[in-house]
Amino acid sequence: MATSPALDVPPEPPSKRRKTSQDPPSRNESPDIGTVPSSLPAVADLAEQLDDLERKKYVKGQKLGSGQYADVFSAHLVSDPSKLVAIKKIKVGPEVKEFGISYDSLREIRFLQELDHPNIIKLHAVFSTKNQNLNLVLEHLPQGDLLKLIQDTASITYTAADIKAWMLMLMRATHFCHAHGILHRDIKPNNLLLAADGSVKLADFGLARAMADPFQHMTYNTITIWYRPPELFFQAQHYGGAVDVWSCGCVFAELISREVLFRAWPETEINMVKLICEKVGTPMEENWPGVSKLRGYVTPTDIVPLKPKEQWFAAFRAVGEVGVDLLIKMLTLDPRERLTAEGVLRHEYWTSDPRPSKLRDLPRKGGGEKAMGQDLTQRGGELPRGDTGRADRVARKIDFGAGR
Amino acid sequence: MSRIAAPKAAPVSKRDPRTGVVQSQDDVCPVCKSARYMNPSLRFLVNPECYHKMCESCVDRIFSHGPAACPIKGCGRTLRKHRFREQTFEDIKVEREVDIRKKVGATFNRREEDFETLLAFNDYLNDVEDITFNLINGIDLEETNKKFEAYTRAHGKEIEENAQMAVQERQSFSAAQKLERQQARERREAARREEEEEKREVEENRRDVLNRLASGADAETVAKEGQRVQLKKRMDRQAATERQRQLQAAEDTQSERNGRFIIKGLRTKQKPEPEAPVDPFGGLRLVDSYFTLQDDYIWEGIQEASKDIKQTAGGYDVRDYAHRSLVAAFSGLGVFVADEMTQRGQLAQNDCAVSESVGFKDAEMISAS
Repeated sequence: MATSPALDVPPEPPSKRRKTSQDPPSRNESPDIGTVPSSLPAVADLAEQLDDLERKKYVKGQKLGSGQYADVFSAHLVSDPSKLVAIKKIKVGPEVKEFGISYDSLREIRFLQELDHPNIIKLHAVFSTKNQNLNLVLEHLPQGDLLKLIQDTASITYTAADIKAWMLMLMRATHFCHAHGILHRDIKPNNLLLAADGSVKLADFGLARAMADPFQHMTYNTITIWYRPPELFFQAQHYGGAVDVWSCGCVFAELISREVLFRAWPETEINMVKLICEKVGTPMEENWPGVSKLRGYVTPTDIVPLKPKEQWFAAFRAVGEVGVDLLIKMLTLDPRERLTAEGVLRHEYWTSDPRPSKLRDLPRKGGGEKAMGQDLTQRGGELPRGDTGRADRVARKIDFGAGR
Repeated sequence: MSRIAAPKAAPVSKRDPRTGVVQSQDDVCPVCKSARYMNPSLRFLVNPECYHKMCESCVDRIFSHGPAACPIKGCGRTLRKHRFREQTFEDIKVEREVDIRKKVGATFNRREEDFETLLAFNDYLNDVEDITFNLINGIDLEETNKKFEAYTRAHGKEIEENAQMAVQERQSFSAAQKLERQQARERREAARREEEEEKREVEENRRDVLNRLASGADAETVAKEGQRVQLKKRMDRQAATERQRQLQAAEDTQSERNGRFIIKGLRTKQKPEPEAPVDPFGGLRLVDSYFTLQDDYIWEGIQEASKDIKQTAGGYDVRDYAHRSLVAAFSGLGVFVADEMTQRGQLAQNDCAVSESVGFKDAEMISAS
């Protein structure tokens, strides 16, 4: 698990580990316990039977993507071949024997089970196959992701109204998560999948967690680095929904300018902080009271003043003055000043002209099924593969800072 | 006493060829008392302000220098010259009613397509008729005028749209009629030409036969030959008209595609429904029904965390935590699974009230402690 970027979830007791199968078997278990020991295998059989029942509902089709962490298959219901689903089969690594199921998949199951929103990917069912392989039955999203749309500058054009529609769907999903006490912690364009009708679905809850209680530490080493907010670079261990809003702001800017807003290269934290200073302004006590008390805060040598509104407007004029105002408020350095997800939805940008595009008018073709397969196989916090070209071949730098 | 009633000395009267208004030799202008007998070109004008009739020369005389009072005794309304016009109907009451109806109709110009059901449209027509009737007969004049103006103000845009649509329709209709007339004329022309051609050919054929007979050919063969030629020509002509007809059909479909062909009786396109304003929350309403969140809670965990700069500087907000805790504390309250199972549909009002009051009490307790 040393590779996992998030280690903040306390290891759960082994008895909980098998909870991923449905509840009914465990309830059936209790009356049988007192009787004869020979009935125990029968109980296990019952669990297996239920599992079998679930598994046999689907017909697995072609493999859509394969990663280090999971494989994704297209599948359909046995009873109705027109009902398509995607099955994410989590690969069993050597660490499973030691630690059990990975936290990423546990988180994904735990949160997706609870969340039911039109802009959040649906988890239909979970079943296991032989040797404890986990299979998540997810909503089938055949139109690829937003990243492919953003990058395909040659053949896809979209308007300010399309950006507004996508952002509105993203913010609704984010607000829904936050309202239910869940931080997504990995919002980025390739986690925003496109459904057949063109709507955006927030996916990959592998880094999500419930909002913490006071004094409870959360990891600061989360969220894909380009979309990570400054407070996490300063190693804040107590944060709230503002971290997701920053990521949403990055996505917003990326949709407008069609390139990553804070594209640090090489992608180190120090470069990211430099970039944020350059593009937004240097975080200081004046614009962010208390920032110097954060553990990772480095006293800056050269100070860049906060970027004035005119410069923001010059760079992002496509969304108009109201849109730029929202963008500035989403990319505010001080997380307390940054708008909350609800505050973003209350902004006048959504109700001003132009109206967000209708679903049927939105461009789709974000890479198709293959892109979905690729996205779902990715582990949280990874930069998109094949994006930078060089990134694949360069050995990953070991991050000594994260181990502290 | 004669059984036949003697016709009254009917005034020598004739209709004005232009307006259709009956003109009589006895017509006298009520203002200047000049009669048609003396002045055959006498024209009477009315002003829709009071509908008092007077002759053209009186109008010129009195109103040329700007608005003036109506010269009819007991009227005295201020009239303007440009509003004077010729009377359309003989009965001045009808004239007035038509004017009012025109005015009302221009404002209340909704169409049947604007309404969901025929009944709604008929109700609307009934209301409009009520207003019109009131205006004509002077019933509740003030109130009715107020209603009328309010409607004009409220629906100015729609009125204009509908008026424009009517103008467009009239234009397209007259254009269609014009096109049709032209086509008919062309068809007649073609038929006439064809007939002439046929006649000419028959004549020519006859002359040909005669010529050949004159040059001493066998009469029978010549006649047969002539008939054959004629038959052949007729067949050719038939083929030609057939070809012509096909061509015409092709042209018709072509023009239909080009949009010149106009189908009568089509409904005008439905205007798109005005869209509802954007709801950024997408219909999601999260309301805390059992508690109101306080700004501050006196509990050391919360107090200390809110004072710890390390926690707040990172964006951690204890109010989120307090809210979450309260939601967790009250989740499930007011949900009675057993009750819902037994009497689904009619939820017991009492239980709801009780649970609500319990919820409020608890919320107070927490905020006070």
